[in-house]
Amino acid sequence: MLLRVKSTLILTVLLMVCAAASLFIGVVDFSVMDIFSGNWEAFEILMISRLPRLLAILCTGMGMSVAGLIMQQLCMNKFVSPTTGATISSAQLGILCALLFMPGSTLWVRAGFAFTAAIAGTWIFVALIQRIQFKDVVMVPLVGIMFGNVIGGITNYLAYKYEMTQALSSWLVGHFSLVMKGRYELVMLVVPLIAAAFIFANHFNIVGMGKDFSKNLGVSYNAVLFLGLTIAAMITASVVVIAGSISYIGLIVPNLVTMFKGDKLRGTLTDTALFGALFVLISDMIGRVVIAPYELPIELIVGVLGSLIFLILLWMRLNGKGRFIKKAEGGCKG
Amino acid sequence: MVIQHLTKQYGRKRVVDEVSFEIPQGQVLSLIGPNGAGKSTVMGMISRLVAKDAGLIHFEGQDLTKWNSRELSKRLAILTQSNNIQMKLTVRELVSFGRFPYCQGRLQPEDQEKVDQALAYMELDAIADQFIDELSGGQRQRAMIAMVIAQDTDYILLDEPTNNLDIYHATKMMKIVRRLCDELGKTVILVLHEINYAAFYSDYICAFVEGRVAHFGTVQEVITKENLSEIYGVDFEIQQVEGRPLSIYY
Amino acid sequence: MKQRSLQIKALILIGLAVLAVIGYLTINVNPKYAAYAMELRVPKLLVMLVTAFCIGGASIVFQTLIQNKIVTPCLLGMNSLYALIHTAVVFFLGSSSLIARHPQLSFVVDLVIMGGAAILIYGTLFKKMKHQILYVLLAGTVMSTFFSSMQTTLTRIMDPNEYDALLGSLVASFSNVNSSLLLISTVLITGILVVLRRELKLLDVLALGKNQAVNLGVDVDKTNRRLLLGVTILIAIATALVGPISFLGLIIANLSRQLFQTYRHSWLIFGSALLGMIVLVGGQLAVEHLFAYSIPISVLITIGGGFYFLVLLLGKGRQQVW
Repeated sequence: MLLRVKSTLILTVLLMVCAAASLFIGVVDFSVMDIFSGNWEAFEILMISRLPRLLAILCTGMGMSVAGLIMQQLCMNKFVSPTTGATISSAQLGILCALLFMPGSTLWVRAGFAFTAAIAGTWIFVALIQRIQFKDVVMVPLVGIMFGNVIGGITNYLAYKYEMTQALSSWLVGHFSLVMKGRYELVMLVVPLIAAAFIFANHFNIVGMGKDFSKNLGVSYNAVLFLGLTIAAMITASVVVIAGSISYIGLIVPNLVTMFKGDKLRGTLTDTALFGALFVLISDMIGRVVIAPYELPIELIVGVLGSLIFLILLWMRLNGKGRFIKKAEGGCKG
Repeated sequence: MVIQHLTKQYGRKRVVDEVSFEIPQGQVLSLIGPNGAGKSTVMGMISRLVAKDAGLIHFEGQDLTKWNSRELSKRLAILTQSNNIQMKLTVRELVSFGRFPYCQGRLQPEDQEKVDQALAYMELDAIADQFIDELSGGQRQRAMIAMVIAQDTDYILLDEPTNNLDIYHATKMMKIVRRLCDELGKTVILVLHEINYAAFYSDYICAFVEGRVAHFGTVQEVITKENLSEIYGVDFEIQQVEGRPLSIYY
Repeated sequence: MKQRSLQIKALILIGLAVLAVIGYLTINVNPKYAAYAMELRVPKLLVMLVTAFCIGGASIVFQTLIQNKIVTPCLLGMNSLYALIHTAVVFFLGSSSLIARHPQLSFVVDLVIMGGAAILIYGTLFKKMKHQILYVLLAGTVMSTFFSSMQTTLTRIMDPNEYDALLGSLVASFSNVNSSLLLISTVLITGILVVLRRELKLLDVLALGKNQAVNLGVDVDKTNRRLLLGVTILIAIATALVGPISFLGLIIANLSRQLFQTYRHSWLIFGSALLGMIVLVGGQLAVEHLFAYSIPISVLITIGGGFYFLVLLLGKGRQQVW
């Protein structure tokens, strides 16, 4: 009990410290004193650029990692995530359709397209993998990646045909450099969605145990499954619309957290959200500092850190260390 | 074949712990024990499917790991539980694979002959040209055994050959095992869950508990009330039927 | 009898391939300029033949190694590495730089980098990962996600004019391959086949599964490693030659398996290569005459292959277990 609260507390404190620090990293230098001494310029920068960015980062980190955790729980497979489950590529296709068919559309209309596509893509993927019995859990993400490639192929074709490839690439690479007041509020949608995930956490856990198991406990399997996938897809889509796609977070953060805390969803959800936010925040700070005054896109930083961590996790799983392995053996039940 | 201080570890858990015994030639030896006692792992190490962490396996005067893999496959054959072959393969083609160590895929007349003999021995002539994915579980198991026979090895290792078979087919399988030993002079090593099959069809029994050899000896020596209760933690009754110990448990 | 039906099917395939080739060479050719047209079209055909063989053969071997028929070697990540190399060259050296303009040089650069990566990931890492093929594959896909995130990062901050120049080389095409590259590729492929001649004969046994193969005296780990490395290098050659084509392997390998219904890999590989030829030539015909070059052939194949993949998934679902 104490340990559970302890890790949450440590993460909260760390997150707050980093968040405060990140507010003061940027092209224009100002300090805490400037704000309180009534430096109007500094205050404006803070409100228009720094604070929105921080909020967007927190929402992205929490959202993507929670989305990943939900998908992993529902499919009972540690390798499923918005990246390996075709959610991100579907959202990108949705955005491209919005750009093509409604060129003057607002952010909210684009978001609508992205939501629809992401939800549809995720549903189709899960429906597919449930029809098949996999000999090996690793086949599931491989099929997901290939399915994502198919959707990416369609996106590429449309982009190529209408000469939108480079315009599209700003949604392919996650970055926060364009986040400022008036352009990022949509990502706040993540907050109510995460709240919903908290409410249904136990249901997701039960559904993850399989169809028969949940029927036995009186939980409607299909309804909860689709609810969970919809929440995960909507979180992903809102992040992709605002910040572009950021792979790995949904895959790595939940795995790291469960390694230390076990698989009970309620217990890990808070920590996963906090740790995800912390991970993205630190990556963003690195990206802003390395080649200041320019900045590296967050996707690159997360990509480097993420692929390294993922390889280490795989390694540990192979050598039978850590809990990354044991729980994943169930495959995807349906 | 002599096994000395064989050890296997998964993480921190020792699944096989300093196991030593000798495999009597030309006899049927059954490995028994509760789940997780390490019998299948020992079998895996004897058959080189599982790498050992420590210990020695002497096979015909030489360390098993020093054997040339192809030469070894002419002396020792293993049949595991998981045999979901996904190829479009007829029974005859499957059995022909047993000759692979000798001819590397190019069947010579004498290989052809061995294949025919194996098919006949397992009474598979009638279904020799059927695809294996169209067969019943018992037929497929027989086809796999025929392949092992065609492989023409002195030693045959079978990992739970009666698994997933009904009483009719399981009993038939055990009779085949007996014939392999009696008629063809093979040394057969089995992993079995059914104690009574072990008692009635094997010559020697090796009982495992928690990664160690608890008892090794002839059927009559090992299958006793006291030994079995100790191994399985359940009360046993033993009755002598046809000169063999029939164990009763419930 | 079975042998006979295999031979008939192979003959039909050869007939179809020849038909496609003749069609490709003669449709819309003004007899007056026949010689000139041949000069343009024959090299393209040869490139397609080499590509079809590389991808077709590699896909069959790859599927047997993975023990799964719905995978395609595009999972090996050579496509995204290729895209990254070309993007990086244009980004750092410019589209007018020597490497970007000189086809032989860029081919060699591609091959060296991709070959190096292949040896690192599918040789060394594979060994370190205890020869667990699916895990090394997952590691490979992780690397390829990483490569493409670097590549898209570069394209986003790239000068749009440079980007237009780059786009051409990121899309597969059979037109701009010169004969010296074709020669190098052929020599390399022959070399790989010679080096792997023993392993290739073991494919039929490998398909029985790891335990059976070990039982029959095959050194599975070593064979798998060498074959996987060979597959990756074959794909690297095809990619360096014409550019990234995903899903071609999936289509032709599965069609070949469905058509021949045999376990014998010599037939499967042969059929797969022929089918690759038919698909490529047919696709190129469609692109040139039906779509008037409005879409590149690789996109056509990706979309076609994508739908085929979904059909396979759903079909397999009913049969379960693979």
